[in-house]
Amino acid sequence: MVKYILIGSLLFLTACSDKLVRVMPYEKEYFAQDKMSLSPIAERAEQEGHVYLIREASAGGESAFQGGCGCR
Amino acid sequence: MQIKQFMLFVLSLALLEVTSLASDLKDKMSFGINTYNDNADVQVYSPTFALYKKLSSQWLLGVKMRIDAVTAASIKNGSNATHVDAVTAASAKESVADDVRYAPTAMLTYDDGDNLVTFGSYYSTENDYTGVAAFASYVRQLNQQNTALGVSASQSFDKWSPVFKRALPKDNRNETKIDFSANQLITPEFSMSAVYSYMYSEGFLSSPYHFILQDSLAKFENYPDKRTGHAFALKGVYLLDKDDSVNFSYRYYMDDWDIKSHTSSVEFMRDFTHDFTSGLRLRYYTQTGSNFVKPVGTYGVSDQYFAVDYRMSAFDSYTIGVPFIYRMKGGDKLTASIDYYKTSSNEYLKNWYDVGSLQSVFTTLTYEFAY
Repeated sequence: MVKYILIGSLLFLTACSDKLVRVMPYEKEYFAQDKMSLSPIAERAEQEGHVYLIREASAGGESAFQGGCGCR
Repeated sequence: MQIKQFMLFVLSLALLEVTSLASDLKDKMSFGINTYNDNADVQVYSPTFALYKKLSSQWLLGVKMRIDAVTAASIKNGSNATHVDAVTAASAKESVADDVRYAPTAMLTYDDGDNLVTFGSYYSTENDYTGVAAFASYVRQLNQQNTALGVSASQSFDKWSPVFKRALPKDNRNETKIDFSANQLITPEFSMSAVYSYMYSEGFLSSPYHFILQDSLAKFENYPDKRTGHAFALKGVYLLDKDDSVNFSYRYYMDDWDIKSHTSSVEFMRDFTHDFTSGLRLRYYTQTGSNFVKPVGTYGVSDQYFAVDYRMSAFDSYTIGVPFIYRMKGGDKLTASIDYYKTSSNEYLKNWYDVGSLQSVFTTLTYEFAY
């Protein structure tokens, strides 16, 4: 199931490239702002990623690397 | 065939060097301290340091160092000695003790504006555990940088060295993680991102210290020595108006231990002034139990696997947090965050920590500047 969702997403994003140019360079000013980041504070994302990795049994869903430790 | 592919890969990297597109690489440095405190007597103070140095217009060398200073690491034993109890922290010594984890990371990044390649390695050492890992990622910008496709991989080779002599069935824990990501700008005010992660672990996957003591049964915790997990996440950020935005995410996780989880979060951010941004973040997490965990006090001698860690049981958790971003002159930036985390209560938490639910506060404080 996950595989098909992934393949479908990639096909959607790559197969119709012309239609995916929706934002011109001069329209991207908001994406340069901190509040428009998916992780507005990188250090917090790293810290909470570590906390959740230790305190919960799930992982993944982000491209960031989390090193191992004995507390896991 | 593999050698040929490797040579083509090296050649492609060399070709990347001759392109001269714009990149956002810059020399910068950051100092910070992160903290973690919970009601199970665990306190962690983590100074952090990061240095990024441009080697050329397209190459960047990065070095990061994190030190986890763990104090009061001994965790309360369960109060009910007739059931699962007497659990100590994985990295703790007896009584009130300190443990210090040193975790340096080095990475090399290439960025020509359309291609972003990163290689890195990680090492960590503490009383009873050594972690070694390598990671790499590649992100390709497409469609006039409206679309970004990425792939990343990491491989770790960790090793247990228990503080007391115990012959583990295996002393290694190796983990493989592969991520595929796609990010798409939808409008000038809205972008979406999708990430799929494949994770595989093998080796000694439980704690070497946790054990079960019930009636005539005394066993160390024992999990299967392999685990395969999948995670799929959707994330988005949307500009509500000139000063306000909201970012949201949902993740579904599943593995072959039958643990399934749903994680959702939403965060509102507001520019209170030109220099200061803050907001509010909420997160909800819920997971099912593993297929080998049993109710407290019901394990038998014929069981193959034993779990006393609450993470193998079903529970929920909630997080509420506040971020702070202060931009200074010259591009310097001060960021901070404080989050409160609470789990639902379950019988394992009660027996391990003698608390109804686990409650913690974790913070970050970082000063970042260009040089």
